[in-house]
Amino acid sequence: MAENKKVLVIGGGFSGLTAAVETAEAGSEVIIVEKTPFFGGRVTQLNKYFPKLCPPNCGLEINFKRIKNSGDVAYHTLAEVEKITGQEGAFEVTVKIKPRYVNDKCVGCNACAEACPVEMPNEFNFGLDTTKAAYITHNQAFPFIYAIDDRYCKGKACGKCAEACKYNAIDLDMKPETITLKVSSIILAAGWDLYDVSKLDNLGGGKIKNVITNMQMERLASPNGPTAGKVLRPSDGKEVKNIAFVQCAGSRDENHLPYCSFICCMASLKQATYVREQYPDAKAEIFYIDIRTPGRYEQFYWKVKDDPNVTLTKGKVAGITEDPATGDVILEAEDIFGGKKIRRSFDMVVLAAGMVPSTKNSKIPVEVSLTPDGFVLPATLQKGIYAVGTLKSPVDVAKSVQDATGVAIKSIQSARR
Amino acid sequence: MSEQIKPDLKFINSVINAGGESLKKCFQCATCSVVCKVTPDDKPFPRKEMVQAQWGLKDKLLSNPDIWLCHQCSDCTAYCPRGAKPGEVLGAIRKLSIEHYAFPSFVGKAVADPKFLLLTFAVPVLIFGAVLMALGNLKIPDGEIVYAEKFMPVPVIDAVFIMSAIFAMIGFGVGITRYWKDLTSGTKVKGLPMAAIMATVTEFLAHKKFKTCEETVDRSRSHLFTFYGFVGLAITTTWAIVYLYGMQWLSPYPLRDPMKIFGNLSAASLLIGITLVIINRLKHAEKAGSGSYFDWLFIGVIFTIVTTGLLSEILRLLHVPVLAYPVYFIHLVVVFFLFAYAPFSKMAHMVYRTTALVYAKHTGRDKA
Repeated sequence: MAENKKVLVIGGGFSGLTAAVETAEAGSEVIIVEKTPFFGGRVTQLNKYFPKLCPPNCGLEINFKRIKNSGDVAYHTLAEVEKITGQEGAFEVTVKIKPRYVNDKCVGCNACAEACPVEMPNEFNFGLDTTKAAYITHNQAFPFIYAIDDRYCKGKACGKCAEACKYNAIDLDMKPETITLKVSSIILAAGWDLYDVSKLDNLGGGKIKNVITNMQMERLASPNGPTAGKVLRPSDGKEVKNIAFVQCAGSRDENHLPYCSFICCMASLKQATYVREQYPDAKAEIFYIDIRTPGRYEQFYWKVKDDPNVTLTKGKVAGITEDPATGDVILEAEDIFGGKKIRRSFDMVVLAAGMVPSTKNSKIPVEVSLTPDGFVLPATLQKGIYAVGTLKSPVDVAKSVQDATGVAIKSIQSARR
Repeated sequence: MSEQIKPDLKFINSVINAGGESLKKCFQCATCSVVCKVTPDDKPFPRKEMVQAQWGLKDKLLSNPDIWLCHQCSDCTAYCPRGAKPGEVLGAIRKLSIEHYAFPSFVGKAVADPKFLLLTFAVPVLIFGAVLMALGNLKIPDGEIVYAEKFMPVPVIDAVFIMSAIFAMIGFGVGITRYWKDLTSGTKVKGLPMAAIMATVTEFLAHKKFKTCEETVDRSRSHLFTFYGFVGLAITTTWAIVYLYGMQWLSPYPLRDPMKIFGNLSAASLLIGITLVIINRLKHAEKAGSGSYFDWLFIGVIFTIVTTGLLSEILRLLHVPVLAYPVYFIHLVVVFFLFAYAPFSKMAHMVYRTTALVYAKHTGRDKA
């Protein structure tokens, strides 16, 4: 039996958190490393998520609580794995931890953010607004400790945040450190990124103001988002009464992502309900190749379809232009059932962009074969290393959770062999 | 009431074999119809042609004017998310349409099928070979190079080409009559729509349609050079007939003669045009598709015509008889190929496309 029974989880999103708490609650020590300053991953950025359409905290808060209550989970934020050596039962993992510049004396009073003079693009809101360089993503972030982004912060030359902090929580001298972890098994849970819509040149290439991505739409609808949950369009803050969704924006396309991203149809159906619930007279139109409702989601599709203010139009949008006078967005598609090429104008348009495994943007430091699209082929991983969720294929939260729970058992077996 | 569809499997396979091998990849997303700049908004192409071809609806496709409204810009192919190459598929359907209306149909089949490539070339080789043998000219003549007097007499050439032109005219006449009948069946179109003909010709002279292409917009230029090269050579030929029969002046003509200058300039235009065609095709192959046998046969014939034509002149001036006469022989063979088989090769596009455009303009299907 391995002396060291620790399990390392790389990635603190829903998959990683699930794998971590399930493993810890079965009696193994767990360490989670998360690249960003906060846990929760993509789910934190959603307004509601399937299957029950809960707000993200509904599931995440329980997991955070389980982590806090379990004495067996250690975690590092702003931590990136640089090197993995060894084998099952005896891995040595080098982790680089970037400075947060805020220590755990922070009480989350927001004084540093108020004092900070630097505005930076808010990545958590996908650039829909700005935030201060001393920031917290939202009011239920975990850990609830502010972070300072040194790509924008002017450092000690400014130092206004440190002056404003009454708790001595800010340390602008913090340096990056490198730690070595000894673990028995490793769970890769690095998740996914949204496809870069600037590559979709015929869909506006990310340059048209009132054309947003599905993830931006989640932020617009979220109570902790840039508009406090009111769906207002970016160019002029007008209420969105006439919205269109462009399905397969990049997915099922050999020139972009050849695979179906699995979640986007359900996401657009769901987002149509955000607008419909908010504005009783609003209209929504979804342009699709095929509407795909995996598993038991078909009934949700029926419900949305039955709404007389929601139109489902078969025909992929292949042209998007802006009306410069009004800021409205003009979509061009062939209405296949009507047999006509149509141009329709909308207040705002959502691109149902696809999922890209995070391996495309940051390499995992293990030997593994990837599909041409960057998904991990689990059978090619070294013994003792496991991958979960969207790293292997595009899946939704529920499927990621099931997968993470299964992988927890595998990692425990590795730790006890 | 629903329509019962009987797929013509043989037709589906013939589309696939004619260069539309990507046909079955289409999943009907309609990106193609949207990115197409030359399609009408009502019942746009090429999405509907893709599903009709997948279902083997031969009758809906072969007489469909839309297959000729398509100028194979290949914007559809470049943006197709499945690599189904609608531009190539429509090209294949056009080929089958030419073959369908061909008269006599066995010549249509022979020109369309690579199996008969040698046979189709054997016809002019045998005709011209027999003439040379009968005249005892089946050797390299001595002295100054004079193609007409020492090798292939002009009256023989004229006789052969007039016959082949008549053959082609009959082929075109029958083919286009059948096609026009199919086009106008069930419609009220009667007689010749002169306004539409004029509109088609003026649009064509400036290559307006071609210029709306995005992915392969450079094709408008290569086609323009090729087209005006041919126009110039047709004028040159008429001019030469005036010299020969009107003024009893025999070739070769001096390089400074205005007809000669005009002819050489036309040949240069054709050479530039067809070379650009080849370069563009290769350059765009990845995004627009690499073309079919039918395309490349036509391109190859034109390229050979212009290169052997110019080489015949150059080799004569440089006095290299051992090369000059064989090159001139090849030139005659490929010119025969172009003339005699015009209604069956891709050359037929000039007649079928023009007819389809006239019909489309007359019926309001094509407004531009």
